[in-house]
Amino acid sequence: MRDERQLAQKTATELETPVKRARELAEKLGLRPYPVNYWIVDHDEMNELIAYSGFQRRYPHWRWGMAYDRQRKQDQFGMGKAFEIVNNDNPSHAFLQESNTHADQKAVITHVEAHADFFANNAWFGLYSDRGDPGQPNAAAMLEQHAAAIDRYMNDPEIDRADVERLIDAVLCLEDTIDQHRPLLAEADPEDRDLSDIRDQLDELGLSDDVRQNVFDDAWIEAHEDAAAELTLDDPERDVLAYLRDHGLAYDNSQQKAVERESWATDVIDRLREEAYYFAAQKMTKIMNEGWAAYWESLMMGDERFAGTDEFITYADHQARVLGSPGLNPYKLGKELWEHIENTTNRKEVVDKLLRVEGITWRNFHDAIDFSVVEERLQPDPLVAGLTASDIDELLQRIESNDDRFDAERVEAAAAGELDLDRYPWATLTYTGLSERHFSLTRRHNRQFVSQISREALEREARYMFDDERYETIEAALADINYTSGWDRMREIRASHNDVTFIDSFLTPEFVSSHNYFTYEYSQATGDYRVASIDPADVKRKLLLQFTNFGKPTIAVYDGNFDNRGELLLGHRYNGVALNEKQAHAVLERVFELWGRPVNLMTIRVEYDEHELEVARRRGREPNGTEVGVRFRYDGSEVTEHDLEYHLQEAIEATDVDYDTKPDEWLA
Amino acid sequence: MGLRDDLERFREVGESRRQDLSQFISYGDLGQSTQGSVQIPIKIVDLPEFVYDKRSMGGVGQGQGGTPQPGQPVGPPQPGDGDEDGEPGEEGADHEYYEMDPEEFAKELDEELGLELEPKGKQVVEEIEGDFTDITRTGPRGTLDFEELFKRGLKRKLAMDFDESYVREGLKVRDATPRDVYEWARNQNIPVSLAWIADQASQLAADELNQWESFEAVEENVANEPTINRLRREGLREIPFRKQDERFRYPEIIEKKERNVVVVNIRDVSGSMRERKRELVERTLTPLDWYLTGKYDTASFHYIAHDADAWEVDRPEFFGIRSGGGTKISSAYKLAAEILEQYPFSEWNRYVFAAGDSENSSNDTKDAVIPLMESIDANLHAYIETQPGGAAINATHAEEVERQLGDRDNVAVTRVGEPNDVIDAIYDILSTEGTTDD
Repeated sequence: MRDERQLAQKTATELETPVKRARELAEKLGLRPYPVNYWIVDHDEMNELIAYSGFQRRYPHWRWGMAYDRQRKQDQFGMGKAFEIVNNDNPSHAFLQESNTHADQKAVITHVEAHADFFANNAWFGLYSDRGDPGQPNAAAMLEQHAAAIDRYMNDPEIDRADVERLIDAVLCLEDTIDQHRPLLAEADPEDRDLSDIRDQLDELGLSDDVRQNVFDDAWIEAHEDAAAELTLDDPERDVLAYLRDHGLAYDNSQQKAVERESWATDVIDRLREEAYYFAAQKMTKIMNEGWAAYWESLMMGDERFAGTDEFITYADHQARVLGSPGLNPYKLGKELWEHIENTTNRKEVVDKLLRVEGITWRNFHDAIDFSVVEERLQPDPLVAGLTASDIDELLQRIESNDDRFDAERVEAAAAGELDLDRYPWATLTYTGLSERHFSLTRRHNRQFVSQISREALEREARYMFDDERYETIEAALADINYTSGWDRMREIRASHNDVTFIDSFLTPEFVSSHNYFTYEYSQATGDYRVASIDPADVKRKLLLQFTNFGKPTIAVYDGNFDNRGELLLGHRYNGVALNEKQAHAVLERVFELWGRPVNLMTIRVEYDEHELEVARRRGREPNGTEVGVRFRYDGSEVTEHDLEYHLQEAIEATDVDYDTKPDEWLA
Repeated sequence: MGLRDDLERFREVGESRRQDLSQFISYGDLGQSTQGSVQIPIKIVDLPEFVYDKRSMGGVGQGQGGTPQPGQPVGPPQPGDGDEDGEPGEEGADHEYYEMDPEEFAKELDEELGLELEPKGKQVVEEIEGDFTDITRTGPRGTLDFEELFKRGLKRKLAMDFDESYVREGLKVRDATPRDVYEWARNQNIPVSLAWIADQASQLAADELNQWESFEAVEENVANEPTINRLRREGLREIPFRKQDERFRYPEIIEKKERNVVVVNIRDVSGSMRERKRELVERTLTPLDWYLTGKYDTASFHYIAHDADAWEVDRPEFFGIRSGGGTKISSAYKLAAEILEQYPFSEWNRYVFAAGDSENSSNDTKDAVIPLMESIDANLHAYIETQPGGAAINATHAEEVERQLGDRDNVAVTRVGEPNDVIDAIYDILSTEGTTDD
């Protein structure tokens, strides 16, 4: 045990400098991360942290056991290696596995710094973390309190532990049915709370069950509650969990009716809902966030040689594995999109300057410009690009002449021998200097990027350009290039977007076709999945489906007093993609536990009649189905199916989206 | 409190409590079922949620080496393409992650346990063409080794070359016949032919004759210039390329012995094998399979489940099923022997791993199992006894096998009582095989 601690201690000491340097570099590159505390842990502690999604304590629940079991087996059977875990908190906590190589640790540190920047600056994270003091998610403390509270209920002799667990399971089935695009309100509307207290007040009156059943029956109470829960078909409640918390009851098996829920139960629902909001931002920004981290990690580790020369190969191998894992890889897709944004923004900047040269218009752009000159002019100042210890005199001169690309303080430190210039050349550069040093268009594989701009894009750039004769020569124009524009733009985007808007805005047709993306659909005729479309617009639409609302159907509360019997009416906002009915039924059974009375779910499904199937089969084409509205009702014992009234079907139907990418003549 | 407690409660879900969740339990695969990878079954409890119908949802894929055409079939959606659960970092904090392959695993385990298992190449021979390093005298022009031809030509030239003017001087010696000159020259190791001398003699002008009194006078007055100097002065000019100097490159034939392995995993699924025991079996057998996959070129796996009867199953089922009946271990060995007929021992490395709680019907071990184990040729027979909390009185199978066959170098018996024993058990098994040397 002592030896192990010593190993961790040793690793920690070795990593102190890299951690400090990584932060300095990250800040120089324009990132503004939360402070990060790094912890060195052994592999078992790592498995535990991963099971607990990056925290040290969570409420008691078997799901963590399941995650831990999986993680441990993966570790034991050597099927995967976890490198790092970092949580969204201020300060963030990052955990490094002590058995990893030094190169891996450094990579992880640079990666973590970028994640911490994302946590701190992305608006979707802000929805949660700004609920109290802005920028203070207080996540570890919140989860810790929840753990303690739920643990207390579980150990309360008055409360059956199994009941707590069942309730948690029921809430977890609904953890994605929240309104994740709105900030979490710290407290529900107080009025709601008051009204649900009607039952408490009645309880306090000490009325007999008889009186209650005859006078103040459920219908009476609900009629009063409905006043607060004003839902209309046009404006359903997306935060199903909040609605159930505020208006749900519990079903009492012995009395065979709905009764007021106990306060611990409401508290558990509330806490789990809060956790759902906390984790929502992470789920909403997977591609962006992983891409962001991969981008900066690669720049810091690879381009700035944060990995020592001896570690570089290990690092390159590590990165290739992470980026190379199969499927729709968030690291890879995200990183490529960020690079695409960087390149197009930088190109816009260059083209903008070039179009302001006398005699150059969008029409003659490709002929009038010698792109080899452009390429040469874009190259960074040799001093900025090179920078070794032998350049110190030159550096001092530049400081003298107030060259804003150099960091006076750090240059002086280097001159005084406090900074190893060969090792950390970037330290003497400012953000401006670094942006010139890493200007994306000077990279070998991006060199054609400027000359390959399409005429349409050029025309668009030129359309509203007034001051278009500003420079006499190309050289003069290029001397005015703002090298920071790419990074500036990237930071703006990381502040405001989520995966859906990110993909929607930046996944370009070139991107789709150059990466061979395609959509697939299930063919009713052949009974298997087939490639449906390679049209970039289709691919994008399909991809958006996977990210919109966590890739899950949107469910909302449409009525809390359905059929005037106090039943819950949920609706699946139908976008052309059907619901998995088997699972939906199972969820309804759990919703019943949170509502205490019968629950209903409206959805739409596609039905095929026998004749149509037969005709389609004979002609070898896809059958045409009809969309039919259905309502499922669970009354505590079984799920029944009912027709859906037309006005209700209309309410859940979306008419302006279509995720079906099947071509008309598909299998011809 | 804490994760241990969570883990314990997770194990109990659907087993000793929370029967309401049993419909959501599945034994899925750990990791991706890519080719060559071993699938590790893992208990998964999937709470229901509102999700799209998979078929209705479709998806996005990425073509490997080109965009496919619409209408082309694609496989069923792959995990990782969409919202599959268990995605690393699906929820919560972010972490990086990569998959390891069996070879890497085998290497790590070797290091961990200090094993030096060199799998035996079995007879299955494949001839493959290696590098073009062998040489023959005939062959297609394309494989002509010109460098060799040039070298040999150069040697030949060097060997045949001599200072012609020096030998010609010899002819000018008074009364020297071509034969005299030939012998004189040959005595000085000058590679000249008699025919050449005769030819030169006939061309000699009359006034050149008798210029020297003797051969000694020639030697004193005329220098015999070494070939190398002449070459330096005059250059190579012509290299004599001769048919007999031609050499053709030829690919080396490498006999590749393929290292094949067949593994028969046997598991007792009878009523007495409860969840804990089941998991111990899984924990022990899976790394073994994984390890052997990494060690061999081709690995073939068979899974036999047995109670009083034995039947072959697929891997996902293997760890999941549970039956009611009694136990008769020999039924499994009979089936194993049948299966192994397709894998002649001369061509395949064979491993038979059986696991159970050592309970067997009376006399079956002695009368049936042990003779069967003796008759089935295998690199290794292993029996893994899983008895959390010590063996029951009637559970004597492991003991009997150990008593009867323990001295054989291809039989291993090991006991796993709790997860911490797994590594030791694996070591016991693999090191037994390691000492076998035939």
